[in-house]
Amino acid sequence: MKVGIPRALLYYYYYPMWRTFFEELGAEVVLSSPSTRVTLAQGLKHAVDEVCLPVKLFFGHVLDLAGKVDYIFLPRMVSVEHHKYICPKFLGLPDMIRRLEGLPDLIGVDVNLYRKDRDLYTVINNVGSLFTGNKLKIFRAYRSSIKTLQKYYRLLHLGLMPAEALAVLDNKVGDKPLNYPFELNVAVIGHPYNIYDSYISMNLTGRLKEMGAAVFTAEHVPEKTLRSNAARLPKKLFWSLGQRMIGAAFHYLDRPDISGLVHVAAFGCGPDSMTGELIERHARALRAPFLNLTLDEHTGEAGIVTRLEAFLDMVRWKKAEAAGI
Amino acid sequence: MKGYLGIDVGSVSTNLVFLNEGGIVREAIYLRTQGQPIATVQKGLKELNGRLPDGVKVRGAGVTGSGRHLTGVLVGADTVKNEITAHAVASLLLVPGVQTILEIGGQDSKIIILRNGVVTDFAMNTVCAAGTGSFLDQQAARLNIPIEQFGEIALQAESPVRIAGRCAVFAESDMIHKQQMGCGLPDILAGLCEALVRNYLNNVGKGKEILAPVVFQGGVAANVGMAKAFEKALELPVTVPAHFDVMGAVGAALLAREAVARTGVSRFKGFSVADSLFKTGSFECSGCPNMCEVVEVAEQGSVIARWGDRCGKWSEDVGKKEKIS
Repeated sequence: MKVGIPRALLYYYYYPMWRTFFEELGAEVVLSSPSTRVTLAQGLKHAVDEVCLPVKLFFGHVLDLAGKVDYIFLPRMVSVEHHKYICPKFLGLPDMIRRLEGLPDLIGVDVNLYRKDRDLYTVINNVGSLFTGNKLKIFRAYRSSIKTLQKYYRLLHLGLMPAEALAVLDNKVGDKPLNYPFELNVAVIGHPYNIYDSYISMNLTGRLKEMGAAVFTAEHVPEKTLRSNAARLPKKLFWSLGQRMIGAAFHYLDRPDISGLVHVAAFGCGPDSMTGELIERHARALRAPFLNLTLDEHTGEAGIVTRLEAFLDMVRWKKAEAAGI
Repeated sequence: MKGYLGIDVGSVSTNLVFLNEGGIVREAIYLRTQGQPIATVQKGLKELNGRLPDGVKVRGAGVTGSGRHLTGVLVGADTVKNEITAHAVASLLLVPGVQTILEIGGQDSKIIILRNGVVTDFAMNTVCAAGTGSFLDQQAARLNIPIEQFGEIALQAESPVRIAGRCAVFAESDMIHKQQMGCGLPDILAGLCEALVRNYLNNVGKGKEILAPVVFQGGVAANVGMAKAFEKALELPVTVPAHFDVMGAVGAALLAREAVARTGVSRFKGFSVADSLFKTGSFECSGCPNMCEVVEVAEQGSVIARWGDRCGKWSEDVGKKEKIS
């Protein structure tokens, strides 16, 4: 049995867990191809107009899997932690996808941990029973999937990018050294599905590296640090993803070795418009170099390149001034 | 005479300046790009060469603007810099102590905040080009007045009308409505200037600390109506420097001076490139589903640069690093 997983949205958070779970149950996991112009064009054609860019892209990834798999794994992610929500567009996602024609069956379970009494394990059991009647096998698959996820997170906390961490998990690391010295460090704060998708981010992290800047993201920061930093806001945030970004931004802005912060938002993202503003105000109060980038459908890369270049010039200039050159 | 060449190839205008070694602008040329960057640069070089005395030595060349990569290859530039850095460098030379730069060009607008001679913050318009030069151009054409007289007429206004500046299309409908109601032309033009300034300050200048001295530059600074609207909105004096329309080119020349001081030799090919035969073309690569649009530049029949491919298959083939992607 083949289970398809779209390479988009929460893939960047949970893929190692999902894959291990399905593989332990004897299924074959098929990933959609990396984003290309065609993926985005398909998404734009089939998605409703008012959703944000990454959700449109998700449509393209789902369509890429059509005809190749028996199931598409598409959980309805309502809440992944106590008293916090995932963005409302994720809530409606399975319903929007279901409207598409020619798709295989969807594994569309609800994941809602907003109240403690809802048990994640019931959900796991429901998904697992599609593949086996053996409860013990499901339990074991669940245990090892959690272990893989923890390993993945540990690799990220060491400073690897998701693609690099996945390569380590798969034992596919080449001879190339992973880290080489950079002249400056820059924090890039944004949703993983925007910054790590090199198509819609126009290879943002790669470009920064080419320009001599090491990239630090929210995924490199342990959950505990993120939480304690986000708690510095006068009021608790109830968006899980927003909390991660705010926590990471505040953490990096405190670190003297980080020379600047780039905030990446997708056009049409509601929560980003607010978290971006909160981060910008904080950065400005600290007089830290800050750049706001908005990703959209356009393919012209000049706009992104110009802004990144100017940003790094500003960071270098400021560093040189501080050093008294 | 020895000096440095700066070229700024923007969406609307192409500017060339020649700085002497002391950083004084000796010649400045402002041309309309008219969608033909190569021909315009060649025309500008020819004109500049004619204006300069015989035996002049170009010690370095710098390029900036959205056409900088193309032009850099064309003339053999020593620096290829983004517009923000170029504008900041030029302003610092011509208006010592500047703390705020307002720049409005043909299709983009930016604000640059400087403190103690260092860029500390900047912003560019994101997904909207309302209120930039192209819009003023278009409205002047629609009202059948030469763009050069736009500002003068606006200054005659007695009570500027209120126009929505958020969107160029809606601003136009608003203007037409006011015309049909019988408002005078000066009042409408002044109202438009105020609307554009309002939009700029809310959009690009959002949350920025605007302190005097304030410099207003870029092609739109030719419009005295805009300068006056800025003064009214900011309640600060606004300086329009003498070379407001070629500031990017001045900055590029200054950066070239810096680069050549470091490297010792210039890569400038000489004014003879004005007579070389350049051919550009683009093709869609069919190597992968990205279908990148690859641009190719050939000089006298041999390919000197390619860019636009995400993977580097074509651009690296030429052995040049000057590519957009």
